[in-house]
Amino acid sequence: MGIIDMKKNSLNKKGKLLSIWWFMIWAIVGGGIVGLAAIFYGNPCDIRAVEANLLIDKISDCVSYGGRINENLISFESSNSFDLSNCYINFLNEEEEFFYKISFYKLDNLEQVVFQKSGGNLNLESFCEVRENLGAVPLCVEKKFYSLDKKNNQYIIKILVSIKKIEQNVK
Amino acid sequence: MNKKRNFYLDKRGELTLLQEYLIFILVNLLFFAVFALFIYSKSNGANVLEEKYAKNIALLIDASIPIMKMKLNMEDAFDVAEKNKVSRDEIVKISGNQVIVNLGSSKGYSYRFFNNFAVTAYADSYPNKNYLINVNGYN
Repeated sequence: MGIIDMKKNSLNKKGKLLSIWWFMIWAIVGGGIVGLAAIFYGNPCDIRAVEANLLIDKISDCVSYGGRINENLISFESSNSFDLSNCYINFLNEEEEFFYKISFYKLDNLEQVVFQKSGGNLNLESFCEVRENLGAVPLCVEKKFYSLDKKNNQYIIKILVSIKKIEQNVK
Repeated sequence: MNKKRNFYLDKRGELTLLQEYLIFILVNLLFFAVFALFIYSKSNGANVLEEKYAKNIALLIDASIPIMKMKLNMEDAFDVAEKNKVSRDEIVKISGNQVIVNLGSSKGYSYRFFNNFAVTAYADSYPNKNYLINVNGYN
């Protein structure tokens, strides 16, 4: 007599432990586990938030160091005076995947931008205005900090970074 | 009439309740062991580890400054590479701003870092299962 004798077990008045229903439950649970594992490990790990924060840290260290604006790199007279490559940042063939915007505001007038520089894929900025979670869209991170110039004028510097890289981070 | 009794069956020719419970528990254990193995093999597959280490190394480089030396424990990646007959020195390659990790899948996995640094990566001396990543300077 075999262990998996369904007919016999379904008629077993004592226990019915090895009935066909248990095998069905195992199949459903097993299918669920396989499906969830496939979904979980099939999706890439999204590191764009960490990457964006690192990029902001890197840019902020470049434009302002030790609480002072780096006036060797930034001249408020001309936005062309600043180039991100001076910060040893190179997007190489990935220019389309990144967007950055650096804005300087005087502390006494946060409405008016004193100096602004942006670069990368300018189309990505529009995604930063949408706060809803739309799924596979570029990720935006914004940070602001306080800094002084040589004449001790006080500034708030806002840095906005957007990273696309959807194929590598979101399925 | 055959009076010879089967050791595994009771008088009515059925499994006893205890035997049925034992078989039930064993089949349950077997079932969950198979799925634990399945999930373990999925989480330690070449594809998953390639992505994990490529992104990990790219983020490490992005967070670094010259001159910095980093030692990354890649024991699980070395084991998978050994199984797939990939040489220790071929696991991590850095080409330009790109980290490429290959543990035996078709192409490997690559991820770019944004820092414009000159970076080299090489395997630690045998039998250590670490990778050494050196940020040598600015490009």
